[in-house]
Amino acid sequence: MLNTALVEKVLKLAGSNGASFAELYVERWRKKSMRLINKELKEANSGIEYGAGLRLFYGTDVVYAYTNDLDEKSLLELADTMRKLKTSQGSVDKKGAGGLDFRKSGASGLHAPKIDFSTEPKRYRMERLKELDDGARISPDIKQVEANMLEWEQDILLANSEGVWVEDSRTRSRLIALVIAEDKEATQTGFSGPGLSVGLEIFDIYNPKDIGKKAAKQALTNLKAKKAPAGTFPVVIGNGFGGVIFHEALGHLLETTSVAEKVSVLSDKLGEQVASKTVTYVDDGTIKNAWGSSEYDDEGLKTERTVLIENGVLNSYMVDKLGGLKTGYKATGSGRRQNYSFAPTSRMRNTFIVNGDTPKEDLFKGIEFGIYAKNMGGGQVKPGSGEYNFGVTEGYIIRNGQIEEAIKGAMLLGKGPESINKIVAVSDDLESGPGMCGSLSGSIPTEVGQPHVLISEIVVGGEA
Amino acid sequence: MNYQEAKDYLLQRAKDMGLELEVLATEARKLELDSLHERLAKTSISSQGGIGVRVITNGKVGYASTEEKSQEALDWVITEAKENAELQTSSEAFLPTGKNLGKSDLIGEGLSAPIEEKIAAVVGLEHNLRQDQRLKSIMMTRYIESESSTTIASSNNLDGSYRNGFSGVYGVFVMQEGESVKQSFDIDVSKEFYNLDPTVTAQKMIKNAARALGAKNLQTGKYKAYFEPRAFSQLLGLLQFMLNGKTLLEGKSLLADKLGKSVASKLVNIIDDPNLEKGLASRPFDSEGTKTKKITLIENGILKSFLHNSATAKETGQANTGHASRSYKSSLGVGASNFYLKEGAGIKMDKGIIITDLMGVHAGVNPISGDFSLQAFGLMVEDGKEQQAVENFAISGNFIDLLQNISAIGDKIDWTLFAGIIGTPMVEVSELSFAGS
Repeated sequence: MLNTALVEKVLKLAGSNGASFAELYVERWRKKSMRLINKELKEANSGIEYGAGLRLFYGTDVVYAYTNDLDEKSLLELADTMRKLKTSQGSVDKKGAGGLDFRKSGASGLHAPKIDFSTEPKRYRMERLKELDDGARISPDIKQVEANMLEWEQDILLANSEGVWVEDSRTRSRLIALVIAEDKEATQTGFSGPGLSVGLEIFDIYNPKDIGKKAAKQALTNLKAKKAPAGTFPVVIGNGFGGVIFHEALGHLLETTSVAEKVSVLSDKLGEQVASKTVTYVDDGTIKNAWGSSEYDDEGLKTERTVLIENGVLNSYMVDKLGGLKTGYKATGSGRRQNYSFAPTSRMRNTFIVNGDTPKEDLFKGIEFGIYAKNMGGGQVKPGSGEYNFGVTEGYIIRNGQIEEAIKGAMLLGKGPESINKIVAVSDDLESGPGMCGSLSGSIPTEVGQPHVLISEIVVGGEA
Repeated sequence: MNYQEAKDYLLQRAKDMGLELEVLATEARKLELDSLHERLAKTSISSQGGIGVRVITNGKVGYASTEEKSQEALDWVITEAKENAELQTSSEAFLPTGKNLGKSDLIGEGLSAPIEEKIAAVVGLEHNLRQDQRLKSIMMTRYIESESSTTIASSNNLDGSYRNGFSGVYGVFVMQEGESVKQSFDIDVSKEFYNLDPTVTAQKMIKNAARALGAKNLQTGKYKAYFEPRAFSQLLGLLQFMLNGKTLLEGKSLLADKLGKSVASKLVNIIDDPNLEKGLASRPFDSEGTKTKKITLIENGILKSFLHNSATAKETGQANTGHASRSYKSSLGVGASNFYLKEGAGIKMDKGIIITDLMGVHAGVNPISGDFSLQAFGLMVEDGKEQQAVENFAISGNFIDLLQNISAIGDKIDWTLFAGIIGTPMVEVSELSFAGS
């Protein structure tokens, strides 16, 4: 996106006031979206996002700048402004005399789309989204069907003063069904939203009709649901997006963003038992075509499979470059950012609990009264105290080992490290689902996953 | 091309192609200064902006935007917007008739100060936070300032721009007392840099966070609830959604068919005032150029109006309230400005739970059904006095019931930024369901 000579000029000028590290990140996005309600197109939108982020380290001090003006004059002006922001004179770097000698590498196409977005016209997408609507019409109580498609193409260039030069391309597609069901008493909603690092083959991987039907079933279940009970109960959490509990209660506490300054309650605990022995927890950026995958992270490192917790013992944190400088831990290819307007920080990619050996049915056995949280919504955590919560979008009562009536409005909450230790059994039916995770470096695509798990007790916020 | 040239180019191209076109361009400048270990640890500067278009062709509307101002990118924008428009079945779209709205400046010299003083403000905030023995760690203390210029123009003679901005400091930190650990986030914002006071802000932040230390679990049951502004403003975010004309039009508002009917306790008056002096969300006109004005949305519990832009007003047959909202990246929507619950006669506390904060509002609320189940933090109240802090509980119910159960409203509005720019006094709810242990 920029020529080598200009990148080198910018990095050298920016770093010429004693910076220990200089990095230039350039990206161009093409994003398209469409939204249909009851088969009628409400909005279609297209956008180019284009900008550069320039980052300097002085030890662990950081200067960051970004702009949309990527011509030579603007970039050099920006580099000069940044250089002058650091007023610590006297340590001017003399080593900047030679060339940077970039080692250039690019994407091998591991997550490249099979069917490029340009293959089909916009009307093709509309027709497929209408099928989603058809799939959702399974009852006269289905009042409204909203069908969305998002398509993102992102090209990045990352170059730094260590000679790294990486170009990566990322393609992502997502289909979202939001269904409203209504009867005389109530209005309820159902949701389904698969997403992958793929192109238009998303329509082959997921039948749009099935997506609509899944959301519609959830809406109808919620329509008949009773209010969730309130109190502390054993809870079985469903596979797939159910993994959001660990994303919130555990994942965020293992990012160097919160570990480096010892804010996380799990700081300085490598090698210690932090979860029950049934739990092995992995963050993997290399899974082919997964929603949170990419070949390189946003700091130019190859992504990797990082085993965070093995049989309950803390094995690794998620480490970005700055986090690595502060803690001494090796970077794990976890430096991510929403776009050029954020400096990267340590973030999750595709994070999941690996399969255990308890058959799913056995998780329910012996529960006299409990909750089956089959589908989850989003959640939130405070890493400093470990306090977290997340919403149940589809839930049922468990009575004497049997899944019985549906419940609505349940919220699970607690303190992460305590809840993790209460995971008493892990099943063997691992699945994952896509989400958007918001944190210091913006909102990024991440996948969460798990098999069914049993938590011995957790506070359920429902009707008292 | 610069923004002016890009705008002119787009309008000319649209004319050549026989399209109606509206341009919205935003240029923003931002500064962020982070203090860590009582020195400047991170500086971030930026200039960012982009151009979005709304195109109408044969009564059909399409959108596209770009941050790249090359001719190639601008041509792509027009082509995409036209293609996006042609996919529509409805052909009722139109561009409002525009006029010259001139230039407004809502920030003036408010952010003018030497950078050294801004650094001192954030380092001072951190220093003052660290004076409390119970402070365990600091995740972030940041000074932030932002100023932006928004320009709109259309082939229907619309032309106008305004400049706005703010400065602020915020902190994310952890406090500990014995076994009890609490993380807190707090922010102080002003349109005048010199109104920020790091000493007072730090003291306020510590006082708020420390109240939660030593919290005990709460017994499940029904209690009277006293919502502090920070907590109640997050629920009012839900009301904004329900009063949004686009929500209404798309069949997602629980308040549909309720115009002129009671939707809340008689004590409730909800107002949106885009012309509030010093209001952080004040704006002279909305994002399609409609002049803004103060409007009462709920009066003595009766629903008086929804918030509308030109398109939602026309389709619902209601009046346009001048609440079109759009960034250059997004399609036309509806958005509140300075949105508030009017002060009441005051609250006399007796027995119940003060709710100081809510967590997980994006996950625990279903805005379409109004059902909520939210993690909350608070303090028990006995004989009108604050007692033990409580934690690990959730409040739940339906938002419409909650509005009807409001039994008293405080006499002073606090403006908060946790769910948009929302003002509210303390609010008493006569009975609410609490799930604890």
